[in-house]
Amino acid sequence: MKKLILTVFSISVLFSCKNSDKKDEAETGASTEQEVNVYTHRHYESDQELFKKFEEKTGINVNIINASADELIQKMTMEGEQSPADVLITVDAGRLERAKSNDLLQAVSSDILEEKVPSHLKDANDYWFGLTKRARIIAYAKDRVEESELSTYEDLASDKWKDKILIRSSSNIYNQSLMASIIVHDGEEEAKKWAAGVVENMARSPKGGDRDQIKAVVAGEGDLAVVNSYYVGKMLNSNDTEEVETAEKVGLFFPNQDGRGTHINVSGAGVAKYAPNKENAIKFIEFLISEDAQKVFAHSNYEYPVNEKVSSAPQLQEWGEFKEDTLNLSKLGENNKKAVILFDEAGWK
Amino acid sequence: MKPAGSNEVFSIKSRLRRLKRDTNRWSILTLAIVLFIALPVIAIAVKLLEGPGETWWHLVDNLLADYIGNSVFLIFGCSILVLIMGVGCAWLVARFEFPFRKQLEWLLILPLAIPSYIVAYAYAGVFDYGGSLNLILRFLDFEFIRIDIMNKFGLAFVLSISLFPYVYVSSRAFFLNQAGNLLEASTMLGVGEFKSFFKLMLPLARPAIVAGLVLVLMEVLNDYGAAQYFGVNTFTTGIFRAWFSLEEPETAVYLSALLISMVFALILFEKWQRRNMQVTGNKASRHIHRKVGAPLMQWFRFFLVLIPVLLGFLIPVAQLIYWAFLTAHKVFDLNFILLSLQSFGIALITAIVTVLFATLLIYFAKWSSVKGIKSISKLGILGYAIPGAVVAIGIMIPTLTFDKWFINIMDTVFGIETGFLINGTLVALVYAYSVRFLAVAYNPIESTALKVSDSIPDSSKMLGVGNFKTFFKIEFPLIKTGILSAIILVFIDVLKELPLTLILKPFHINTLAVKAFEYASDEMVMEAAIPSLFIIFTATIPVIFLNRLLIKE
Repeated sequence: MKKLILTVFSISVLFSCKNSDKKDEAETGASTEQEVNVYTHRHYESDQELFKKFEEKTGINVNIINASADELIQKMTMEGEQSPADVLITVDAGRLERAKSNDLLQAVSSDILEEKVPSHLKDANDYWFGLTKRARIIAYAKDRVEESELSTYEDLASDKWKDKILIRSSSNIYNQSLMASIIVHDGEEEAKKWAAGVVENMARSPKGGDRDQIKAVVAGEGDLAVVNSYYVGKMLNSNDTEEVETAEKVGLFFPNQDGRGTHINVSGAGVAKYAPNKENAIKFIEFLISEDAQKVFAHSNYEYPVNEKVSSAPQLQEWGEFKEDTLNLSKLGENNKKAVILFDEAGWK
Repeated sequence: MKPAGSNEVFSIKSRLRRLKRDTNRWSILTLAIVLFIALPVIAIAVKLLEGPGETWWHLVDNLLADYIGNSVFLIFGCSILVLIMGVGCAWLVARFEFPFRKQLEWLLILPLAIPSYIVAYAYAGVFDYGGSLNLILRFLDFEFIRIDIMNKFGLAFVLSISLFPYVYVSSRAFFLNQAGNLLEASTMLGVGEFKSFFKLMLPLARPAIVAGLVLVLMEVLNDYGAAQYFGVNTFTTGIFRAWFSLEEPETAVYLSALLISMVFALILFEKWQRRNMQVTGNKASRHIHRKVGAPLMQWFRFFLVLIPVLLGFLIPVAQLIYWAFLTAHKVFDLNFILLSLQSFGIALITAIVTVLFATLLIYFAKWSSVKGIKSISKLGILGYAIPGAVVAIGIMIPTLTFDKWFINIMDTVFGIETGFLINGTLVALVYAYSVRFLAVAYNPIESTALKVSDSIPDSSKMLGVGNFKTFFKIEFPLIKTGILSAIILVFIDVLKELPLTLILKPFHINTLAVKAFEYASDEMVMEAAIPSLFIIFTATIPVIFLNRLLIKE
């Protein structure tokens, strides 16, 4: 037993040495093997595919740490100057903004990124860039709700939707970002009233994910569900025919079309402040914005591409063009904490 | 006569002195291990001194009542369900003979092989609109019946159904090994079946039952995935909210401290209820002679025992297999084999290291006769009460300090640029797992160690044989089964572990649980089925092995 343990220990020590050796080489550039270390919250098959393409194209190896953005940010904070992270990818702008304000990212000057990412989808000082867009839309029961009854997010707090609204927990970042956008547009007071109104109108206590809200609409638990557009795309293309049929039973509505536009959020990336492979990191993000990569994002994951030269998936095109809220997404991050506090005060679980 | 007498006195004195010296050495070693294991907890405790964040009072005003209410509800709800299923099944399989008893006996342990958040997803899939049950009811024209499982009652059910084997295993071991003689005596005295179970067996089995129950409740308080998905706010979901949504680690640490004190209360309760019980080595006890009973009763018992197996294993696995079938073409590839091997390797290494720590801790504390050392050694198992994510952060605080110091030294003294020695390597991961799962290893080893009566090692020591030699020659063979079950239990837990792995895992290494989570966290629950099934499959083999061990014992 003792021997076994000794062996195990020495193996793990060897392992750790091997790892750090590798990093040395990368840092000193002595090795021919180039790499880029990516901390990402995205975990889609399509991403793996893209990373492989990048490796083939540039010869730069992509190393992945996959965890929630919060945990990655915590990790980078603690690692400090020695952090091996080159790129941070999140699924919402709020977390990127937080990484920036925690001094974890650095500004990047790249003509390619400048040209291809619209200004409201990136940081004003180029600390981070949006990769893909998702819209927060309303899925409604076609048989019980007329499209003409729907108008804005603000309207969800009105009495006519009493016991009709399905929406997930306030711990969900998409809801937090929506709330942040309402704080910016309508002010804190109104936002709090709005949240309290929505809580009043909830058909049930918040639970499950976005897909569950859609299922609950079809099951008749409520009439409206607030969901992320790309989950609807995924449901419509699910392997479970039952899920496809469920998604087909709801109508989709893009709120606030007559005003500021529908709330959107991005999945985005920034270069880490202490990136050991900064050049590779920039190349990596540029690659993700390129037409080829954007097409993969759009078509296999039902997200809206940030690069305007790329068209969205046929499924999404069917839903039609829509006007998007062009509020700079940095604002979402700045108001995130306030949003959570207001949610709690309004009793939004 | 006189000289001989004084000689004797002299030698006893010198032995006493040596004993005292030994005692100090073992005390120090015990403290060293406790300190090493408790380091992350201490790192977090130090943070407590910084005071709570500004949102602490916001949390107290708006959320704390809900957290406490739900956590207390889960403690009671799960205790009741787990006790009924765990102790009930243990008694039935230990006392009675019925069809398929042998198979059911190990099937009852299998729910441990499924991570509880996966059970939660599977059950949501069963009860969902468009879920399996819904489709069956629709087919039968009963679609109006809809059962909503996504609430605190459902959560208590899901957690109980996936955790009751802890109680089942510990109480069955007691019934099989300790209860034979007593039961025989009570039947001879004409005491009825019911009475002898409730009046005799239950009180005697209480320490074993409660030991299992404490593990269950620690897991319950620690659950994040299932509670989060079912929309039930507990301490653990609150910790995540405070830390990440409100961006206040200080507040999260305060919540963790509250949670830890709840667990402390549980441990103290367990100690208190054991206060008058000296477990003696009842080695001579015969195995229970199983009752056969009328055929109708036999089948009745069979169905009773089948229920938890169905609920805890067969139904969720069937749901997962169905999903796997739907998604196999796009999820499955050969990488899964590699992934399974990696998970297997990491779990095995961790299991061995953790069990080593646990064994050393138990025996160092035993060899030291300083008062209070044993209680202090119990502190080592606290890591189990702390959410994985918090343990991970707790590990990073001290190890990063070391790593940065190390890099600095290497750079300034030797002019060599190195990377982190601990963080981002297997060392940090295995360390964190050991901290988290020491309790899992500690309990089975301790309970077998308690059964070894002190007289043998004592006499061996009086003969001047050293502690280690005594341990390897005499005690180790006697507690071997405890050690093996500890290895298996930790192995399974590591295989299922998620939040800590997510934060600390090295580049290039992935585990099945992480893979399953990647899918599930993005609402691709169906795609998560294949990695989940691989976890279950990998964990099932050791579980069956564990069962063999326990029966042999």
